[in-house]
Amino acid sequence: MKLNRRSFLATSAAATAVMGTPMILKAQPAEYVLGASLPLTGPFATAGQLVAPVFALAAKLFNDEGGVAGTPIRFVTEDSGYIPQNALANYQRALATEGDAMIGYFADSTGAMKLIAPELKGANARIMGSTSFASELANPATNPYQYLSGPTYQSQFDILLQKIKDVGGTTVAFIYSNTEFGRDPLEHGRATAERLGIKVVLEEETKAQGADIPTHVTKLAQSGAEHCILQGYVTGVWPQLIGGARQFGLPTKFYGTFWGMEKIIADRITAEAGPFLEGYEGIMPYRYFWDQADAPRYQKYAEYSKAMFAGTPLENYMSTWALQTMCGLEIAMKAFRDTAEKGLELTPDNIAETLAGISDWDTGGFFGGPVSMVNNAIGTGRVYAYDTASGLFNPTSDWFTV
Amino acid sequence: MINGNLKASYAADERVLNNTYKQTFVYGMMLALALFAGFANDYMILIACKMGILLIAVVGVNILTGYTGLVSLGHGAFVAIGAYSVTMLENGLTGIVPESLTIFVVLPLAVAITAVVGVFVGLPSLRVKGLYLAVATLAANFIVIFLIEQDAFAPWTGGVVGINTHDANILGWVLDTNREMFVLIAVVAFVSLLAAQNLIRTRVGRAFIAIRDRDYSAEILGISLLRYKLTSFALSAAYCGLAGAMFAYFYSRILPEQFELDLSLELVAALIVGGMGRTMGPVFGVMIIVMMPEVIKVFAAYFTGGDAASARYIAPLQEIAFGLLLVFFLLKEPLGINHITDRILRAANRWPFARG
Repeated sequence: MKLNRRSFLATSAAATAVMGTPMILKAQPAEYVLGASLPLTGPFATAGQLVAPVFALAAKLFNDEGGVAGTPIRFVTEDSGYIPQNALANYQRALATEGDAMIGYFADSTGAMKLIAPELKGANARIMGSTSFASELANPATNPYQYLSGPTYQSQFDILLQKIKDVGGTTVAFIYSNTEFGRDPLEHGRATAERLGIKVVLEEETKAQGADIPTHVTKLAQSGAEHCILQGYVTGVWPQLIGGARQFGLPTKFYGTFWGMEKIIADRITAEAGPFLEGYEGIMPYRYFWDQADAPRYQKYAEYSKAMFAGTPLENYMSTWALQTMCGLEIAMKAFRDTAEKGLELTPDNIAETLAGISDWDTGGFFGGPVSMVNNAIGTGRVYAYDTASGLFNPTSDWFTV
Repeated sequence: MINGNLKASYAADERVLNNTYKQTFVYGMMLALALFAGFANDYMILIACKMGILLIAVVGVNILTGYTGLVSLGHGAFVAIGAYSVTMLENGLTGIVPESLTIFVVLPLAVAITAVVGVFVGLPSLRVKGLYLAVATLAANFIVIFLIEQDAFAPWTGGVVGINTHDANILGWVLDTNREMFVLIAVVAFVSLLAAQNLIRTRVGRAFIAIRDRDYSAEILGISLLRYKLTSFALSAAYCGLAGAMFAYFYSRILPEQFELDLSLELVAALIVGGMGRTMGPVFGVMIIVMMPEVIKVFAAYFTGGDAASARYIAPLQEIAFGLLLVFFLLKEPLGINHITDRILRAANRWPFARG
């Protein structure tokens, strides 16, 4: 072919286009996106409403620290109403609108995580944290992209049942909400109780909200359980059940798992109905927000909260639910940043591999010491008991790892 | 003005698509759906699939409630039976029937199982009607979900934690993307709708309508209430079973809580909003019930940029706006959206000689 000015220019343009295309296709987005579904309406709306503001705090804090290797991160949140299909639709909508810029997602329920899990394949896969501690999710073989920000509900049940055994308990009741969240650890709890020689005298399912308290309390009384573990509640039902039992004159000792350990709820109930939550115990994977002496990350949050939420209750206190969300986001950010530092592209597989390999990580005070991801979960926590006089949950055990 | 609607024979009058408008509409919709499958983005495909699945179920409810006049608040249970039957049968037939043929065995069986259950649930309709029947059918929802969740059946149903489903496999074509599933769902929904339209011009369909209008008179005319009420329940349940089957093929996992009372209420709400006893009623109803919250969400996200602080306030407002819109539609047209479109089409058809 004869080379003249016109053919040279055309060939050069074509060559540039061919060579440049892959770079354009794989160009780093101007910002990364982390999507989220929150229960801003529905049965757990109180929790969702309290958690929502921390996304603003997280966005500011993470971007002030340089985002992900200099690229800012943006959060896109939507309401799910605590309905798994809605969360799935939100996830799909975020995928369609944000595309490859979305590198992670935060789901709001056990049901949503289980429903979305099989969809996480190929181009639709994203790293995914959540509010859930569902045991089934802590399995990198089946759910390589999903992780838990603390111990599974099964582990939490194990610890509580061991505690019951240690204090000489022989009978226990499981009262749980009629949700995935409520039912998750039951079978495992049954097996653990049997192994420890504790008799499960009652398994009672209730509504997640607006349960028929007198009926459930009557059944608890009839069962004669010395101890009772409450599972699957957030803002309601669990305090009413304890209150109802106390009014009934039951001496049953009550325990809760993470979502039933919020000071705001305990304080409100104490102020309205008296000190019947005295001695209520449960599992909390993290430090409470007031315990900031050895928690530089909490101090940083406090600094931002004061500036961002001045004049609101969030100015001085971050709820357990908000802490759980922040922990989930911190884990995701660590995985993003570590992946970028390794010089790897932020693909779901690369991020998942980095996340699964997190070990001896100093979280800045969330947990008692450095933590590691084992089976995509952090099996660390502590037992706390509520003190009605001070309005604080005080630790009754050392930090444990399961 | 009215033209192009001349019928020169009874056969022409009896056709399912008995005028050129209907033919044009149906062929136009087929073309639109084909284009949609090719060009819509993933999110639109997802919403369209949800609409298609719900549409099949609402068409079923329309047969029972709209055409036969029997109210049911238990049809979510039939969707559950369809979904779980397909999944359990797929699991059970693995290794026995070739994967590429399983759907041809499993789908009819699941629909048949649901129809049989529908007959049993319909038995109270022989003694009670109206609100009493609604309450009687309500039990179906609770019983079916209760059974699915039982530990004794968990090896087959997955119990309370749900069960992973299979991808549809049609003669070796594995429908493992939403877009591929959309093709199947759209075809099934389309055929379901045409079948329902066809049903009401048959002897069975006319018997349903006679029962709806006055059951005593229908019986005097020689229509067996026992036979036709149960047939209506069976057909209606079969449609919901088919919707359930599509549900199971579409979602990678099914959970019992997806089929609770909310779903039954949603089916009835879609039918009421769209228009009972009309073929297109379920289509309009499903469009409103599924798309309205999505449209509100997209608008909200557009204005807030997905900001969580704004979402806190916008989310409850979305629920309120959706509720108000439903009230508005029902106040403006208690006979459903279908009636509004009827009036618009009638006005267009007679223009300029008459309006409305």
